[in-house]
Amino acid sequence: MLFSSIPFLYWFLPIVLLLYTAAPHRLKNIVLLLSSLFFYGWGEPRYVLWMLLAIVVAYLSGVLIESFKSSPGLARLVLVLSVSFDLLLLGYFKYADFIISNLNAVTGLSVPLLKISLPIGISFYTFQILSYTVDVYRGDVRAQRNILDLAAYVSLFPQLIAGPIVRYSDVEKQLKKRSHTIEKTAEGMGRFITGLGKKILIANLLGELCSSFRGLEDCSLLFFWLYAFAYSLHVYYDFSGYSDMAIGLGKIFGFDFLENFNYPFISKSITEFWRRWHISLSSWFRDYVYIPLGGSRVSAPRHLFNIFAVWMLTGFWHGAAWNFVIWGLYFALLLMIEKLWLLNYLKRNSILSHIYVILAAVLSFVIFDASNMAQACSVLRAMFGGGGYPLISTEAVYYLRSYFVVLAAAVAGATPLPKTMWNRISQHPVGGKLMVFAEPLALSALLVICTAFLVDGSFNPFLYFRF
Amino acid sequence: MKQYKNKVSVAVVGLVFFCLSLAAWILPSKDFSDSERRKLAVRPKLSLTAILDGSYMTDFESFTLDQFPMRDTLRSVKAFTTYYALGQLDNHGIYVKDGYAAKLEYPLDKASVSHAVDSFTRIYDQYLADKNTKLYASVIPDKGYFLAEKNGYPCMDYEMLFQILKDDMSFAEYIDITDTLDITDYYKTDTHWRQEKLIETAEVLASGMGTSLTGRYTVNTLDTPFYGVYYGQSALPLRPETIDYLTNDTLDGCIVTNHEKGTTGGLYDMEKGAGKDPYEMFLSGPVSLITIDNPNCSSDKELIIFRDSFGSSIAPLLAEGYAKITLVDIRYLRSDFLGRFIEFDDQDVLFLYSTPVLNNSETLN
Repeated sequence: MLFSSIPFLYWFLPIVLLLYTAAPHRLKNIVLLLSSLFFYGWGEPRYVLWMLLAIVVAYLSGVLIESFKSSPGLARLVLVLSVSFDLLLLGYFKYADFIISNLNAVTGLSVPLLKISLPIGISFYTFQILSYTVDVYRGDVRAQRNILDLAAYVSLFPQLIAGPIVRYSDVEKQLKKRSHTIEKTAEGMGRFITGLGKKILIANLLGELCSSFRGLEDCSLLFFWLYAFAYSLHVYYDFSGYSDMAIGLGKIFGFDFLENFNYPFISKSITEFWRRWHISLSSWFRDYVYIPLGGSRVSAPRHLFNIFAVWMLTGFWHGAAWNFVIWGLYFALLLMIEKLWLLNYLKRNSILSHIYVILAAVLSFVIFDASNMAQACSVLRAMFGGGGYPLISTEAVYYLRSYFVVLAAAVAGATPLPKTMWNRISQHPVGGKLMVFAEPLALSALLVICTAFLVDGSFNPFLYFRF
Repeated sequence: MKQYKNKVSVAVVGLVFFCLSLAAWILPSKDFSDSERRKLAVRPKLSLTAILDGSYMTDFESFTLDQFPMRDTLRSVKAFTTYYALGQLDNHGIYVKDGYAAKLEYPLDKASVSHAVDSFTRIYDQYLADKNTKLYASVIPDKGYFLAEKNGYPCMDYEMLFQILKDDMSFAEYIDITDTLDITDYYKTDTHWRQEKLIETAEVLASGMGTSLTGRYTVNTLDTPFYGVYYGQSALPLRPETIDYLTNDTLDGCIVTNHEKGTTGGLYDMEKGAGKDPYEMFLSGPVSLITIDNPNCSSDKELIIFRDSFGSSIAPLLAEGYAKITLVDIRYLRSDFLGRFIEFDDQDVLFLYSTPVLNNSETLN
């Protein structure tokens, strides 16, 4: 079930909200757990059991690790077994066919592919479970003794299928005690509807533009660049929109999730970009891979290796295909170059650094979107004049005209400007009074318009839910 | 102030949200969408099998979309937002220019056109190659031919489509009718052309096939307002139109046999004219096999037309020139079976198809 769907918005969510509101405090987590399992089972009836199994293993591991505090060897053994189980589960569902097909390619064998369908959200909840067991081992958090609370945390539907990757440490206290206030509800509602608008009115439309590009046989230089920019913005709005919806829903249910995006396209370096893009993932890899490997407090060659390893894994996390690995390594290369000398240079020129980041990001998303590296190279080559494409075409001009407003809104929205202006108006004496009614009316109108788009359209899956 | 605003926000948005939800749960379902001309999905039956294989969830999603309250109004909201707020140039590939709604037909699918030509060639090879038949082909341009390029919309390479038929259907003489048409010969809210504007087109076809028509008709207007197919698809408040149809003594005397239903009647099906798609008044709409007998024809010439829905409105005008016209729609009748229903002899044969059907020919059997 997707947030941006009629069954979720007007069937599932109102019922859950009513049940949650009516439930006494001690039963609220159970309501969340049951509704989350229903939510997950709606999309993947067969795979609910695997998630429950992962939760049970995580629960037992947490309890055992804490019990074996005085026997570090045993605690470590339980940790290793638990992490191995989680990675095996993820590896089997997500990477088995990738491994088999590459094995076949290298050895000439013809091992049949398993053709396993990927359970939705497995990358997200696996990483959440991993962070939980490691944090218990490190002593950063206490093991959750209530399996229902742990299950509620792992399966929590606001962030289950598409993140953000919520660390147990961030919600440990909130699982036991959290506040439900009008302020939080209003904030959550506004965040959710804004995210819905980002997803439906910008991300989905830019996705249509990208689909139109892919359906063309004859392209032009202009259309290649239009596609590359549109796709980059499409990914941003799709993912950040979904994160907004997750954070908004979390607030409505009393949780405060950490931000997942912070205007990445205003960054002045790739280093900064990755502090603003998919923050929950990059910080996860920092805390559970990069720092344990030694981070930057090692020799220079080892430091570079650490960057290489983390970014290869980051790329691989995004998908079981070589273009994702190359995408990750592309960023590894840029980060290495920045760390070695480029960062100092970028600090001297703000405009050039912005252009560099946007260009680097846009080119990376061409690799990200490609179905294979040959296609990625073909598009990249065409963007720089290869392939003999004309400069412009009727189709490129048409789609640029047709999507101009959406693109302009997307570019503006990717900066803090709209939010800054909104806040200024709200803080103004007259503006503040107007906002009392203008804001709820605007949100209601946005909700209705988004509903109109959903009703008129059809299934619109979130880009990242196969990760 | 902020606290007050929060309360108002929760109240107002909550009210809108829960009202829509309640309406979605309790309002009765509809069977059919007049604007979209299709059956609407109904609530699926709950079963363990359907849940385990996921079909219940998929069908439930379709049901919630189709049965959402104020669906047509919301589709109009979407259309208005798309065109006027977001400045997009089309909505679901439909655009409105100079008052005419048209669908983007782009790009040219050469494989599809070739598939269509292969279907026609198979018919020729199987039934007509050894007969003393005169074969003709003609292509009906869609509205995009007149609107798209001139208004900056992408359009297929029409000239290439015409050329493919000319080159690859060497067994048929190509009759070009594009010069007889302009945008005003089409309905504003529908794909089809207006019969009362086709006199010249019919005369060019007839003359190309060696027959002649009187060209004298009485124009009649159907009472039912006509909301063409783009009216529903565009979800914009386009004005309804009228359907005009042509009669004269010869046309009035024609007998139409609907071989699907085994019924006979006139050229114009008034029952269909009062139905959901009044254009179907022309020869009762999509029927696989129809014959038009003209007892008043001075010659015994016969014509077989392989056609799509555009053929329904022009065939009555051609009826003047032939004792019998057989209309075949190979989207509904496999060409392998034609021999069971038609005795191919020395009739004239006309392949008359519109550009959208040729560009999306997967339905041709």
